Amino acid sequence: MTVTDVKALAEALTNAVGPENVMHETAGYSIDGAVPSIVVLPKSIESLSSAMAAASEFGAATAPWGGGTRMALGNTIQRLDVVADLSGLDRVVQHTPGDLTVTVEAGVTLARLQETLREHSQFLGLDPPLPQRATVGGTLATAVSGPAKWQYMSPRDVVIGMKVVSADGTVTKSGGQVVKNVSGYDMSRLHVGGLGTLGIIVEVSFKLTPTPRREATLLASYPSTTDCLKASLEIFGSQVVPLGMATLDSAANERAGVASVDDARLLAVRLAGRPMTLDRQLRDSTAICRDAGAAAVERLDDDAAASLWRRVSDFGWDERTAPTIGCRASLVPSALPEVVADLEQIGTSLGLTPAIVCHPAHGTVLAHWFAQDGSVGTGGLTAMLSAAGDSVRGAAGHMVIDRCPAEVKAGLDVFGDAGDSLPIMKSLKEQYDPGNLLNPGRYAGRI
Amino acid sequence: MNKRRLIKGLERIVGRGAVLHHPDDLLVFEYDGSVDRAAPTAVVFPTSTHEVSDVVALAHREGIPVVPRGAGTGLSGGSIAVEGGIEIALTRMRRILKIDAANRIAIVEPGLVNLDLSQATARFGLFFAPDPSSQRACTIGGNVAENAGGPHCLRYGVTTNHVIGLEVVLEDGSVVSLGDRFLGWPGYDLVGAFVGSEGTMGVVTRVVARLLPVPQAVRTLLAVFPTVDQASSAVSRVIGSGMVPTALEMMDSLAIKAADASVHAGYPKEAGAVLLVEVDGLTEAVEEEAAEVQQVCERHQPIEIRTATDPLEREKLWAARKGVLGALGHLAPNYSMGDGTVPRTRLPEVMARVGEISKEFGLPIANVLHAGDGNLHPAVLFDERNPDETRRAYEAGGEILKLCVEVGGALTGEHGIGLEKQEYMPLMFSADDLEAMAGLKVAFGTGDLLNPGKIFPTGKSLPGASQSAAVGRAGAGAYI
Repeated sequence: MTVTDVKALAEALTNAVGPENVMHETAGYSIDGAVPSIVVLPKSIESLSSAMAAASEFGAATAPWGGGTRMALGNTIQRLDVVADLSGLDRVVQHTPGDLTVTVEAGVTLARLQETLREHSQFLGLDPPLPQRATVGGTLATAVSGPAKWQYMSPRDVVIGMKVVSADGTVTKSGGQVVKNVSGYDMSRLHVGGLGTLGIIVEVSFKLTPTPRREATLLASYPSTTDCLKASLEIFGSQVVPLGMATLDSAANERAGVASVDDARLLAVRLAGRPMTLDRQLRDSTAICRDAGAAAVERLDDDAAASLWRRVSDFGWDERTAPTIGCRASLVPSALPEVVADLEQIGTSLGLTPAIVCHPAHGTVLAHWFAQDGSVGTGGLTAMLSAAGDSVRGAAGHMVIDRCPAEVKAGLDVFGDAGDSLPIMKSLKEQYDPGNLLNPGRYAGRI
Repeated sequence: MNKRRLIKGLERIVGRGAVLHHPDDLLVFEYDGSVDRAAPTAVVFPTSTHEVSDVVALAHREGIPVVPRGAGTGLSGGSIAVEGGIEIALTRMRRILKIDAANRIAIVEPGLVNLDLSQATARFGLFFAPDPSSQRACTIGGNVAENAGGPHCLRYGVTTNHVIGLEVVLEDGSVVSLGDRFLGWPGYDLVGAFVGSEGTMGVVTRVVARLLPVPQAVRTLLAVFPTVDQASSAVSRVIGSGMVPTALEMMDSLAIKAADASVHAGYPKEAGAVLLVEVDGLTEAVEEEAAEVQQVCERHQPIEIRTATDPLEREKLWAARKGVLGALGHLAPNYSMGDGTVPRTRLPEVMARVGEISKEFGLPIANVLHAGDGNLHPAVLFDERNPDETRRAYEAGGEILKLCVEVGGALTGEHGIGLEKQEYMPLMFSADDLEAMAGLKVAFGTGDLLNPGKIFPTGKSLPGASQSAAVGRAGAGAYI
């Protein structure tokens, strides 16, 4: 039930965070059409803690908000009273370059953090879409990363400590600021990918990576998607250790504007190392790409390479390329060629255009479908999603719907089936948010 | 339920040959690699998930504690039945169920010995990266429970970075799968939450492990320095100049002395510290990185640098480091071993402070470090027959732990909290932090029966002489 005494809630929150940190103009903070009564913009962890304590007294449903780049993710929110905009928690708390660690507040954007680190020839192994807007907290809460997660594994693997504010305002921490630590349970794991449903991430310590001495990107084009994916799997199986790897089908290439080659499927491989090491990896990768039937293999450096990776990573997330439907499938890498071939056919008879990007080494498929405004109804889109889900499950994979129209979303669980571990997930929610106040209903199993 | 009926019940599940209950048979199961000991009522050796589930369900019905156990090499008391009950030894569940080389994963049972996995996957050019020093004996299930590390985790990460799926038996005997053969299972990262929970949230019955390609080349470099300070500075310099070697280990003069006495490594007499650095990867990468490491070391006035690429030669360089714990027996009858971690830049200062603590308490401390990670293993040397020395040894160990936390570090880098450091938890965590952690256990359905009495502080005074009884047994067989 939504809070009825909005005025009293607003007053309590104003007392908690100060009048200058409260917004009543909330239209810009809608989640699938649900608009909060009030937005708080705390400037400190203590202030957020007070706000949550006050909001929970009212039983107010609260959604945390970072850069707002991924608000499309999640099931239909059951109720929404308060949005906690964390962009004011934007301090770099501590960076000790010699330790290769950094501690930041959750509202720091990825672009700003990477810029700070770059001055010390270091970087954080997270490359989410729209880094100018995407915050540390939001990136972790949605467990989103880009093609670079191969070597640096997943978002959870770069976190070494975390501070969280719970639904009732309690502040707790786990881990620390050292790279190796098994003191107590690793609570941060629950919040990475937890969509703010068990607590709000407010401060994070990361382990960092030295910036490679040199870097170059190989871009290979193929006449067929299958050959393109096979080449990427060959590289995955070789001694080459790319910083990142992605494939784009021809529709994704055209929409993302990656290469001006018509009807080309692209494989991009980001390589790095000291001079001899880089040369060796370029040599090996080029040979693999050619043997797999590449029509052309091109080397990109510096700005050209950076721009390519930005386009690949942002595709489907910036306004220019946002699809009608966006899905993320996870599979064993070897199943990719078959599933992608399948997905490329789905929806075409309805007039939907698919565009597919893969991060092959992780078995990730990012499938996007574009429709002319309103040309495909809710029934058609739902049927298409069901076919896509079947195809992915047929290969023993999972599919999460990252983005779809609100009417379609209302009829399904965008996370799919969480299997026999769902009861544990529900009891986690019961433990950490018994009042069901944080992002109610948006998570897997409508948690 | 009386003991006789319990044993009968267990035998019905796992068979007569798979239950130990005679006090003589139980002796060896009172210990792990740490200092504590306690006798279980019985030890069972199940061979399937089904049997594990039935045993746990029986214990749950009867209100009997259950403690999972791998090879018993743990260093924090994780597998000790501190409240009695049933130890479930998983060493007969050691099959490799699947090696999927194309997708670089293996599905294994928990009792599989760590090194056996890498040996089995070697023919596909793959290996399992976590390599605790006990890897010839310790099990994958134990690695998962303790989130084990190892010398090479500087580059490759610890167990949690290499486990993506689990099958576990919860306290009520129910079996659940967590995660999958790839990352991306919907919902909370229950695998991540489970790894490192020290057997308090479930018994692992199946593990999906991620594999990495065996590096094309490996080079080991050993640098001998006159002082710990110079060696520590070299460590900071290596990390600070943008290198992440595979391993970066240090020993101080006392550790060197002990190692030399048993392994005859032939280090120069004036050696104050030895650094062991390993780089691996593509041939070209190894060549380039090793050259840079050597340059950095040379800038810190080493007495001597040795390098090796050939496996036998490398093994010789590692011999002293690997044998050092056993060798400590040359110096004193007993030692108490710490596992704190500090930020790498604080190493020189922390090492100096450890030296002062040694003087303050009047006991020698030998230091072995995973220096690249800032993970200390100070061994306080003492004689347990002298109660006053024993007390001072524990106090000195406690001081070092406090020091680690003070400089922004942690109580344990890879051994776990277990029974050994639970009373120190409040140094790092508030009551709210600990309550949040306890909630995780509740969510997994654990009450008082699954590995009870571990991790969380009991409120008793800090550990002291009461634990001394079994100190001696940690001795020569322990690994770090």
